[in-house]
Amino acid sequence: MRAQHLSRAAVGTVLALALAACGGGGGFSGKSSSDGGDKGTVRMLVNITPNLTQSYWEGLVKPFEQANPGVDVKIEAPTGKTVADTLPQQLAAGNAPDVVETLMADRTLAPQMLDLTDQSWTKGTPLVQEAALGGRIYTVGVGEQAQSLIFYNKTAFTKAGIAQPPTTLDELTQDMGKLKSAGYLPLQTAGDFVTGLQMLQLADPSLAQSHPQWYQDIRAKRLKVGDSMLPYLKLYKSWLDKGYLDKNAMGLKYPDSQTRFFSGKSAMYVMGSWFTASEATAKKDFEVGVFPAPVQAGQKSPGPQGATMAAPYMVLKSTKHRALALKLVQWLVTDKAAVTSQLQQDGNFRKGYDRKFTPLEQQVQQILDAAPSGVPQGEGYGDYTLPSGFNDAWNTQVQGLYVGRSPEKVASAVDEWVSAHS
Amino acid sequence: MNFVKRTKRAGDGAATLLMVVPATVVFVVMLVVPVGLAFYLSLTDWDGYSAQPKIIGGSNYTHLFSDPVMRHAAFVTLLVAVAGTAGMNLLGLGFALLVNGTSRINRFLRVVLFYPHVLSALVVGFLWSAILGTTGAVNSLLTAHGGSVLPFLSDPTWALITMIAVLVWAGFGVNVVLYLAGLQAVPRSLVEAARIDGATRWQVFRHVTLPALGPVVTVNIVLSLVTLLKTYDLVVSLTAGGPAGQTQTVAYLILWNSFHDNRLGFGSAQSVVLMIVTGILALVVTRMRRRGEMAVYS
Repeated sequence: MRAQHLSRAAVGTVLALALAACGGGGGFSGKSSSDGGDKGTVRMLVNITPNLTQSYWEGLVKPFEQANPGVDVKIEAPTGKTVADTLPQQLAAGNAPDVVETLMADRTLAPQMLDLTDQSWTKGTPLVQEAALGGRIYTVGVGEQAQSLIFYNKTAFTKAGIAQPPTTLDELTQDMGKLKSAGYLPLQTAGDFVTGLQMLQLADPSLAQSHPQWYQDIRAKRLKVGDSMLPYLKLYKSWLDKGYLDKNAMGLKYPDSQTRFFSGKSAMYVMGSWFTASEATAKKDFEVGVFPAPVQAGQKSPGPQGATMAAPYMVLKSTKHRALALKLVQWLVTDKAAVTSQLQQDGNFRKGYDRKFTPLEQQVQQILDAAPSGVPQGEGYGDYTLPSGFNDAWNTQVQGLYVGRSPEKVASAVDEWVSAHS
Repeated sequence: MNFVKRTKRAGDGAATLLMVVPATVVFVVMLVVPVGLAFYLSLTDWDGYSAQPKIIGGSNYTHLFSDPVMRHAAFVTLLVAVAGTAGMNLLGLGFALLVNGTSRINRFLRVVLFYPHVLSALVVGFLWSAILGTTGAVNSLLTAHGGSVLPFLSDPTWALITMIAVLVWAGFGVNVVLYLAGLQAVPRSLVEAARIDGATRWQVFRHVTLPALGPVVTVNIVLSLVTLLKTYDLVVSLTAGGPAGQTQTVAYLILWNSFHDNRLGFGSAQSVVLMIVTGILALVVTRMRRRGEMAVYS
C-alpha cells in the first residue's frame, strides 16, 4: 500500500514537473493577447528563401519602423527546417512570435491566431474570403500565386514543330512525343516535393471542372482522392513509360530541376508563378514562354487556375503587442510600396498593383486574368482543406510511380492515408 | 557512546544526501521529466497547439504498429543501424591498425579520417547529393564519356546503400579514434611475447590484439548502433526520405509527424518506442559482448 502511494506520488511529481515545463505561455496553456502600447518590439517569424533573405525582410520593415518611432520589428528566421516546424516549438517553449508569415490558418492553427474578421482593412486583400475558416478571417496575404502553369522552352517547341501551346491533355501528350523526337526531355521534374506538386498543378484545372465540389465531396466521403486522381496518375505513368519524364529524376533536388530546364535539355517545366523570379535572373540561351495547364478533352479551356495566397500573415493570439502587431500586418498587406516590394521580390501578383513586369510575368498576369476562377490545390486552405500532411503523403505516393508501383496502387495508398488521417 | 555514533551516522547521512541531491535533481529534470512528458504525450492526441490535449489511451501505439509506413521505416532504420555499425567498426578498426604509429604521415591521416565527423550531417548530405545526384559530379562525368546515369539516389535500393555508405563515411572517424586509443592500451609485452613464440602478424592480431580490444569493440558497437538508430539529418539533406519514402527512418518520421503533420502525440509514441528499442538493443549488445569478453579472459 505504501509502495503504491509512493509510486503515485512519483508519477504525479513527474507529470507536475512536465506540465510546469510546458507553462509560460506555451504548450498546453492558452494565453490571450494583450496590448503593450504603441512602442516596443514586434517579433515576426518569416520564411527565408533565396529570394526572401533576412536582409530583404529587415529592409522591408524599415519604413514601418521609421514611421513608428520606438517600434522595433525583429525579423526571425526559422530555427527548425521551416516556419511550420519552428512555430509549434516556439509555442511549446512559451516563446511564440507576435506575427507569423508563410503559414495559413487551418483548424489546428486557427485557435492560436487572432481573429481579424472585424478589421476593415482585411477586405479586398487577395483570397481573404477563400482562406477564411468558418467565415472568420485569420490569414491575410499580399498577393496571389498562380499554380497551374507550364513554362516552356520556345526554341524546343519551334524545333519540334509545335506552333501553339496545347490546350488539352491529349494535345500535351502528342506534343511530348514531338519534343522527344526533337531530342528534348519533354517534361522536367525532380524528387523533393516537386513530383507531387507538379501532378497537382497539372490536374487542378481539369479536376476543378470534373469535380467542382472536390474538397467538400472528399470531406463528406462522397468521393475518394485516389479515385478522382486515378486518370491523371495513369496519364503520368504513361508519360514515364514512354520516356517523356526522366526515370532518374528522383535523384534531382528542386534547384537541380530548374538548372536542368535552364540548361535547355528539357522542354517544359510545371511550376507556380514564383518561378518567374528565378527565370528573370537565370542564364539561358532560349526564350521561356508559359501556358496554363491543359484540361481534359471537352472541358472549358483555360480551366480554373490553381491559386494560393502569397506571403500570408497571421497575428498570434498570445501577442503582448496586439495593436502594434495588427498595425504591422495591415501595413504589410496594404501599404502600396510594401506590397509592391513583396510582389516584386518573390514574383507574385495582385490586381491593381503595377510593378515592373518581365515579359514572362506579363504572360502569367494575362493567364491569371483569363482564368475563370482560382481554386485551392492539394491540402488546400480555409474551409477547403484535406488532413494536414496530405501534400507530403501525396508526393511520396506519386513518387511510387518511379519505383514500379501501379497508378491503382498509388491511388489506393493515397485513399488509405486520407482515411487514416480524417 | 551510542549517542556520538548515532550523531555521526546522521551527519554522514545528511552529507550523503546533500551530495546526491544535485545529481538527482539534474537527472530528474534532464531525463525523467522529458521521458515522462514524452510518455504522457504519447497517450494524447496533442497537435502541438491545442491548450487541452485529449487523452486517447494507447491508440497512438495501436496505430503505430499497424502503420505500413512506420513498419517500413523501422526496417530501414534497423538495416541502417546493423549495416552501418558493421561498416563503421570494420573500417574504424582497419584504419586504426593502418595509422597506429607515431610518424607524421600517420598523424596527418588521423586528422583526415576524423575530418568528415566534424562536418554537420546536413552539409555532408548536400555534399554527397551534389556528388552522387542524377546531375551530380559522378554522373556528369559518366554521361560526358558516353556512359549512362547511375541511380545512386533515384533507385530505392541504390539510395539506401548510398545513404548507409555516406553514414559510414561521415561517422567512422570516431571509431578510428576510439580503436586507436584501445590499440595504445594493448600491452606491448604480450605482443612481443607472441612474436618471440613465432606468431604471424595475423595470429598476433587475432589472438592478442583483438581480445585486448574487447571493451573498446563493445563501446564502439553500442555507440554506433545508438547513433545510427537516431539517423535523421542526413536523410533530410541526402534523400529527403525518397524516392517514394523508401529511405525514411524512424527518427525522420518522428520529426515529420510531430512538427510537419502536427501529430505530436503520435510522434511521442514513436519516440517512446524508439527509445525502448534502442535501450533494449544496446543492453543486448553489451551483454553479448561482455559474455564474449569473459570467455576470452577466462
